[in-house]
Amino acid sequence: MSQAARFESMVMPHLDAAYNLARWLTRNDHDAEDVVQEAVMRAMRYFDAMKGSEARPWLLKIVRNTCFTWLEKNRPADVVPLDDSEEGAAQAAAATDFETPEVILLQSANRKLVNQALEDLPAGYREVIVMREIEDMSYKEIAAVAGIPIGTVMSRLARGRDLLKSSIENRMRRAS
Amino acid sequence: MSMTPKNSQGGEPLVARDATYYRAPDALRARIRSSIAAEARRQSRPKLWTWGGIAAGMAAASVISWNAALMQARVGGEGVLEREVASAHVRSLMAEGHLNDVVSTDQHTVKPWFQGKLDFAPVVNDLAPSGYPLTGGRLDYIDGRPVAALTYRSRLHVLNLFEWPAADAGDAKPELVTRNGYSIVRWKRGGLQYWLVSDASPADLLKFAHVFGT
Repeated sequence: MSQAARFESMVMPHLDAAYNLARWLTRNDHDAEDVVQEAVMRAMRYFDAMKGSEARPWLLKIVRNTCFTWLEKNRPADVVPLDDSEEGAAQAAAATDFETPEVILLQSANRKLVNQALEDLPAGYREVIVMREIEDMSYKEIAAVAGIPIGTVMSRLARGRDLLKSSIENRMRRAS
Repeated sequence: MSMTPKNSQGGEPLVARDATYYRAPDALRARIRSSIAAEARRQSRPKLWTWGGIAAGMAAASVISWNAALMQARVGGEGVLEREVASAHVRSLMAEGHLNDVVSTDQHTVKPWFQGKLDFAPVVNDLAPSGYPLTGGRLDYIDGRPVAALTYRSRLHVLNLFEWPAADAGDAKPELVTRNGYSIVRWKRGGLQYWLVSDASPADLLKFAHVFGT
């Protein structure tokens, strides 16, 4: 099999995952398509360096980095530094302890509400939630793709879910 | 394009159930497939060199710069030049007429031929008495600039000697490296850098460097 055919057979099965992540990070179809195309071309040139890595996290890491480079250039306001300090993490964890957002929201939330709330989340939280909840990825995989420690993945997930919960609650209150 | 919600019932987290899973549009899929094919065609020249015994993915003038930057990170700046020099050597031997633009055993014919073609004057020595007859010269393109390529013979082996201005003024003694079965000896003298490549023995190349004047 030629190098290009080998690359295609490894990458194409993960194109949905790549697009989903890019779409959630760029928040529109057109930019997501551009970013995915650029990332795949970049992946092709880096293919030699892939060695034994698993295809999906390897590709998603390139997509994710291409997204953030794009965001920094085109949507700098989207890329805010996150508070990953222990206080921030502890606060976030405590907030999710007494009531999981799932329980409250299961009955009433609709898709539009969730999509809007998730889109409005800072990109750093959005990406871990998309990878965990929508893409079913392990903490370890997410840590590798986002280039952060597993502990940070967990605290960002907790904090992100917390923010998502209050955002959805606010929307519901405003709507009623 | 389809926007399919993840379809699951029960106690799973909300986002997993209600957030949109954006699937890659068919048009994007098609576009990416054709880009991969185009990129593969563009990279087919390096593959030819693989056949010639040199690893694929070598830096060449046609490979875009950040690919070269990647290589630089992997093998270091010198490694890139060694690859370029080795591949230039292989290319020069791949087809009739690639080796020399000026065919002459006379240094007084070869040296003037470069006049007006380069922004420096290459050093052309006649080493026939030492067993390395000059066979000619040509222009080549290495390290992003035109360079002088002189060709010599050592018995049945072809030697390519590349010359271009050094980045700094200091001289450097001959250093031997091997790259994909080819020996490369490089040195610096009088503001020029010299890269000698051949499949002749390393000892032969070092001797050449010595008699050429290092």
